Amino acid sequence: MNMIVFVKRVPDTESRIRIQRETSTVIEEGLNFVISPNDEYAVEEGLRLREAQGGKVTAVSLGGDEALTILRKCLAMGADEALLIKDDRKETYDGLRVARILAAAVRTRFADADLLLFGRLSVGADNAQVPAMTAELLGWPQATVVTRLAIEGRAGTAHREIEGAVEKVVFTLPAVVAAQKGLNEPRYETLKGIMAAKKKTIPAVAPAELGLTAEDIAPRVEVLSLETPPAKTGGRLLGGTPEEAARELVRLLRDEAKVV
Amino acid sequence: MMTARRPEFIDALTGIVGAGQVLSDPDCLEAYGHDEFSLKDIRRSPDLAVRPRTAAEVAAVLKLANEHGVPVTPRGGATGLCGGCVPAAGGIVLSLERMKGIVIDPANQMAEAEAGVTLIEFEKAVDEAGFNFPPHPGEESAMIGGMIVTNAGGSRAVKYGVIRNYVRGLEVVTAAGDILNLGGKLIKSSTGYSLMHLFIGSEGTLGVVTKAVIQLRAKPALTRSLVIPFETLDAAVETVPEIFRRDIVPLALEFVPLDVIRLTEAHLQRTWPSHDGETHLFVILDAASEDEMDRLSESVAEAALERGALDVFIADTAAKQDNVLAIRSRMYEALKAETIEILDVCVPRAEIPGHVKRVSEIAAKYGVWLPTFGHAGDGNVHTHLMKARYENGRFVPVPEAEWRAALEPVRAEIYADGMARGGVISGEHGIGLVKKPYLAMSLSPAQVELMRGIKRVFDPRGILNPGKIFD
Ligand SMILES: Cc1cc2nc3c(=O)[nH]c(=O)nc-3n(C[C@H](O)[C@H](O)[C@H](O)COP(=O)(O)OP(=O)(O)OC[C@H]3O[C@@H](n4cnc5c(N)ncnc54)[C@H](O)[C@@H]3O)c2cc1C
Repeated sequence: MNMIVFVKRVPDTESRIRIQRETSTVIEEGLNFVISPNDEYAVEEGLRLREAQGGKVTAVSLGGDEALTILRKCLAMGADEALLIKDDRKETYDGLRVARILAAAVRTRFADADLLLFGRLSVGADNAQVPAMTAELLGWPQATVVTRLAIEGRAGTAHREIEGAVEKVVFTLPAVVAAQKGLNEPRYETLKGIMAAKKKTIPAVAPAELGLTAEDIAPRVEVLSLETPPAKTGGRLLGGTPEEAARELVRLLRDEAKVV
Repeated sequence: MMTARRPEFIDALTGIVGAGQVLSDPDCLEAYGHDEFSLKDIRRSPDLAVRPRTAAEVAAVLKLANEHGVPVTPRGGATGLCGGCVPAAGGIVLSLERMKGIVIDPANQMAEAEAGVTLIEFEKAVDEAGFNFPPHPGEESAMIGGMIVTNAGGSRAVKYGVIRNYVRGLEVVTAAGDILNLGGKLIKSSTGYSLMHLFIGSEGTLGVVTKAVIQLRAKPALTRSLVIPFETLDAAVETVPEIFRRDIVPLALEFVPLDVIRLTEAHLQRTWPSHDGETHLFVILDAASEDEMDRLSESVAEAALERGALDVFIADTAAKQDNVLAIRSRMYEALKAETIEILDVCVPRAEIPGHVKRVSEIAAKYGVWLPTFGHAGDGNVHTHLMKARYENGRFVPVPEAEWRAALEPVRAEIYADGMARGGVISGEHGIGLVKKPYLAMSLSPAQVELMRGIKRVFDPRGILNPGKIFD
């Protein structure tokens, strides 16, 4: 089975995000970058399918040269090959633009792919658009928010996590699957893997080489402003005897919070 | 009637600490009668528990108790493992739980914390101020005062030292009720004897710590954890000196047996990166840059692979690091139900392989299970004395008569080996009540006699935590 896993470089989920107001961008200095955690489930799933059924796993990222580090991590985890689609634009928050580029990459470079694996959403942008849009542009079946996946021959079965239930879908290959937490437990990179990854070269292509025009890749989403959520205010301690504290609490709930 | 339970005495205490802060109801007192040492044998409820809010209140309580000759046992988070805060002679338990002030002084990079601040509260405040505090006993409800008087360590001690290296000043109250301010926001002092250092590690026998000035560090830029499986324990621990020889001092360097890893995984429903081999090294590195981090990890990995490591697994995302750290730090929790006691022998680092080998011989000799792991980087080995065996992935209880019979000789033989290798019986937990009978294995009679003399200077009537460390 020929599998393509799409991965994105994002700030570590535990980073404290600071914003450059003038440019409406995230300040990268001091941030730690990782593979988007959901994408890591996608990589792991690809590797497990290959280990069970044979085939090939190629990791693909759209981004600047910085994205090479996460592609190298995919190689260290065990991906066979990697490809960087060079994009000099910073985060555009334009899911359709990304999907158009990825779909073009699949048509021109991976026409024989059986399975495209994505993370459910990339942390940070939190759009959850790209997998579904890519599937749509290619006219392939899709399963998103997947917590269980089985492939037998040309047929796939996926469990999707939906509100209050699990939806089971079946589809035929080629298809698009977007991984959700719970699908698997990603393996740890190993030193041997890292050493082997170092020996591999990671080719890069420009969107133009995928047959895309400047207009195709122009972002159509404009970010007007970016703000951090308001800081949480600390709790308040009510003093006095239990009776006094209880009386004060009721007063505050009534007069300030207006909930009783 | 014992003085402590007389109404006049209780009234006088209430006058000092206020209504509701003197506990005399036996149901409430039970909770003040033990720490984390497992056996009920040593438990004892105090006659009273008092919860002062200020150093002045502590001083007044001690003055009163001293006048009446009532024993006072200070109590912090009660996470101690050797019965240190158990009121062995009855009397008052003085709990620091209400003394929770913290002030961070960024210009001096120091914190002032009251004795009742818990480790988790302290770390949060320090983190929010942009600093770091390395000492870290595994149980985060330990309190600043308790940590200081046990000279707590934790797994980062190998690189950044034990709490003694961070205490710059102490406010302590002596048995007579005098408040002493020792040290200060100072890096240096050659001004007389350091009384402050006498209190560090004194286990509540010399005075009550009410406040401390604590040195903070800058936060490490990056950390990365490595999990390195080895076929044998020897190969794992013999890698340790190789790592130091390369001039690398990891933030933490621990060895853990696979069976303990497995049962902790089952307990926490988490997965460790590898199930290969028999013993794993768990290494945490800190570095200022990615390049430096790569250089360090490669060098550690090289040393390990030369010694036969099966592979090196790397956790560098926050999620993966949290996962492996959670498994390492919660091993105790997974073993707790079946643990009798955690030993705390500290030997010169190079003696670890020999000591651990001896522990497995002792386990075989007595037919007991002695899961042993700990701080490979600083020689501190935690052998767990258990009341169960671990077979085919589950605990098999050992009859009480059987494990009780083995308890004494197993302890004694393990200590004897540790001492023969130039070690001490406690690296970081303290002596308390439980290790007192073995103190003479570590310290000469002359040393203990000097300690007794020091104790008499600070506490002539012997009211402070009587019966601890030595008689
Ligand atoms: C799961 C677990 C893991 C642990 N891991 C580690 C570890 O890695 N490293 C380590 O060093 N320890 C470890 N410990 C042991 C324990 O957490 C430490 O000894 C800790 O420093 C004790 O602090 P405490 O506040 O709980 O003290 P307590 O248990 O309350 O008291 C300990 C001693 O200090 C005295 N005392 C307490 N407060 C004061 C005060 N203000 N003034 C004077 N005397 C006082 C008590 O009388 C007693 O003698 C671990 C314990 C557990 C349960």
